[in-house]
Amino acid sequence: MFTTLRNLLRFQESGLLLVILALGVLLTAFSGSVRTPVFEVGPDGNRQRVFTTNESGERLPVFEEKNKFFNAQNLAQLAKDTSFIAIMAVGMSLVIISGGIDLSVGSIYALASVLGALAFRHFGPDGASPDTAPWLAVSLGALACVGSATACGLVNGSLIVALRVHPFIITLGAMAILRGIAFVVTKGQSVGGFPPLFREMIRWETSGGLSLVPLGVMLVVLAVGWIYLSRLAAGRRVYAVGGNELASRFSGIRVDRVKIGVYLLSGFAAGIAALIALGYYGSASSGDGQGYELNVIAAAVVGGASLTGGRGSALGAVLGALIIQMIASGIVILGIDQNYSQIIIGSVVIAAVVLDNFNTWLAKRRLTQAKH
Amino acid sequence: MKRLTLLAASLAFALAGTAAERTITIGLVAKSQGNPVFQAARVGAEDAAKELSAKYKMNIKIDWRTPNEEDAQKQAEAIEQLVLAGAEGIAVSCSDANKLTDAINRAVDNGVPVATFDSDAPASKRFVTYGVDDIECGKQTMEELAKVMGGKGIIAVLAGNQNAPNLQKRVQGVREVAAKFPGITIRDVYYHKETAQDAVAKIEQVMQANPDITGWAMIGGWPLFTDNALKWQPGTVQCVSVDALPAQLAYIRSGHVPVLLAQQCYEWGHRCVELLIEKIVDHKNPPAVKEISALIPVTAANVDAFAKNWDKWLPK
Repeated sequence: MFTTLRNLLRFQESGLLLVILALGVLLTAFSGSVRTPVFEVGPDGNRQRVFTTNESGERLPVFEEKNKFFNAQNLAQLAKDTSFIAIMAVGMSLVIISGGIDLSVGSIYALASVLGALAFRHFGPDGASPDTAPWLAVSLGALACVGSATACGLVNGSLIVALRVHPFIITLGAMAILRGIAFVVTKGQSVGGFPPLFREMIRWETSGGLSLVPLGVMLVVLAVGWIYLSRLAAGRRVYAVGGNELASRFSGIRVDRVKIGVYLLSGFAAGIAALIALGYYGSASSGDGQGYELNVIAAAVVGGASLTGGRGSALGAVLGALIIQMIASGIVILGIDQNYSQIIIGSVVIAAVVLDNFNTWLAKRRLTQAKH
Repeated sequence: MKRLTLLAASLAFALAGTAAERTITIGLVAKSQGNPVFQAARVGAEDAAKELSAKYKMNIKIDWRTPNEEDAQKQAEAIEQLVLAGAEGIAVSCSDANKLTDAINRAVDNGVPVATFDSDAPASKRFVTYGVDDIECGKQTMEELAKVMGGKGIIAVLAGNQNAPNLQKRVQGVREVAAKFPGITIRDVYYHKETAQDAVAKIEQVMQANPDITGWAMIGGWPLFTDNALKWQPGTVQCVSVDALPAQLAYIRSGHVPVLLAQQCYEWGHRCVELLIEKIVDHKNPPAVKEISALIPVTAANVDAFAKNWDKWLPK
């Protein structure tokens, strides 16, 4: 028992897991209950509300009481709301580990959304090519969305390497340019009207009405990010470049290639997030993703990524995003006045980072003591 | 067996509800926290909740869930969270109608009626929308401006967020009326972040680059929320603006702005809560899905009388 606990505490992200556990327990204990309508799957396969008849023959909907936080619908909602930022945070953590920063992810998300949306609308019911095979329409739309985001990341990385300008400046410029392009191509209009197959794929629900596709995609991105960073030589090179760029260069690592790669992957992750959001919400506009860069950076940093480079993980980024979203959702669930929400979120973000740093310090101390 | 348990739980809840005062939570999701018109809507909603709590002998609560800055995705998330947190009705001003349609429909499918105000989601299952007719609002703004400019001059249009469908319609209304005045030329439509500082900065930039502009059609009142937005002598450049918040009224008194067109932003919240409670408690639908609120012209003649309304409408 103690060995398991000790092993758990040695785990790099154990501090974050403890914070999530504590938040979950607190929210479950203090959220109270909610009365929700009961649904069942009807003969036509669609979900429908369950009704009963009272003594006077009146048809009444049936309700059930649930804990406001700890119920399947709310947890699925929490996972869905976390997924968009978490997916981008995995990409951002690569950039931060390499010692860089990407301020343009929100704008890449917006541009990928609108380009994807324009492609999807082209093949949608009211578009120019509504008769295109559904699988082809979805594939081309997804390619436009994810491909454009990846291309944006590639351009960012290439400019940073070629011009030898700090990534803060290049991505700050890209942030404005890409959002401007998104506005020009949409003329400020919201773009919707996608092929039904695409919407159905992303909004697919279990028989209990749980929308789990965003969660599934987030887990796949997490798994890929984790394997890349911890199991592949390419991932170890990212840590090396972020830890000491000069030493990495002298040890034969192609630093420029690593840098271009992390921005490309950050763009790719933003494209995946944009694609999932497109399918879930069904439209895009040039105003999408405003300020998301700060949320994404906050998630990566809460997750243990060091802004000086060389430290961080994909799992940490996802857990960081989850903590921030749990607080935001908790404020709604507990009915706390929204005027205080930013103060609470900011305070808990700092507390989570301090707790994580304390845990790292403890781990280092244990290591030092073991050496002696 | 499960059905019976659920039924028993429902009946127990219903019986408990008769013993204690019923609590109804109404979610209010406006476009952005920083815009004072939505703070007035919030006060209106809270006042309506108090009045209707007394009338219906129940406890009506307003749960304000508005993004800090305009973000339709955050609004959709807020609607979904409100439904899960047990809100029985929701009023929303949509930053992007397309993006909010599914969230509104899902809320309605879960038995939570939704009303929209200020900016509608026409393809959704909302049972009512309350606000100005945006094309008419743009037209009225331009008509008033053309009147004070004597039907001639070069004008600029200040238009806020380029993605907001209601503002796009107002711009359309301005253009339609301007086309009827051969002596009036629209130099351009200028968009900006919907904060007072950004709006003032935009006006300064435009006036420096285009000193020949003699009129401004402001389809939202953003720059006039500061006290030094219009840096010209009163009467040299004419200006007509939508909204008539307290800070804006000073420009009427100084002579910089001859006409303000007041949206009934306090009523956005107040009326929506009334409509939602009638729907939830009395199971009553409004006579029409669209309920239009008129714009109230505020001029030097009625500015003092109008200003008194704000004692009631502002957050205490």
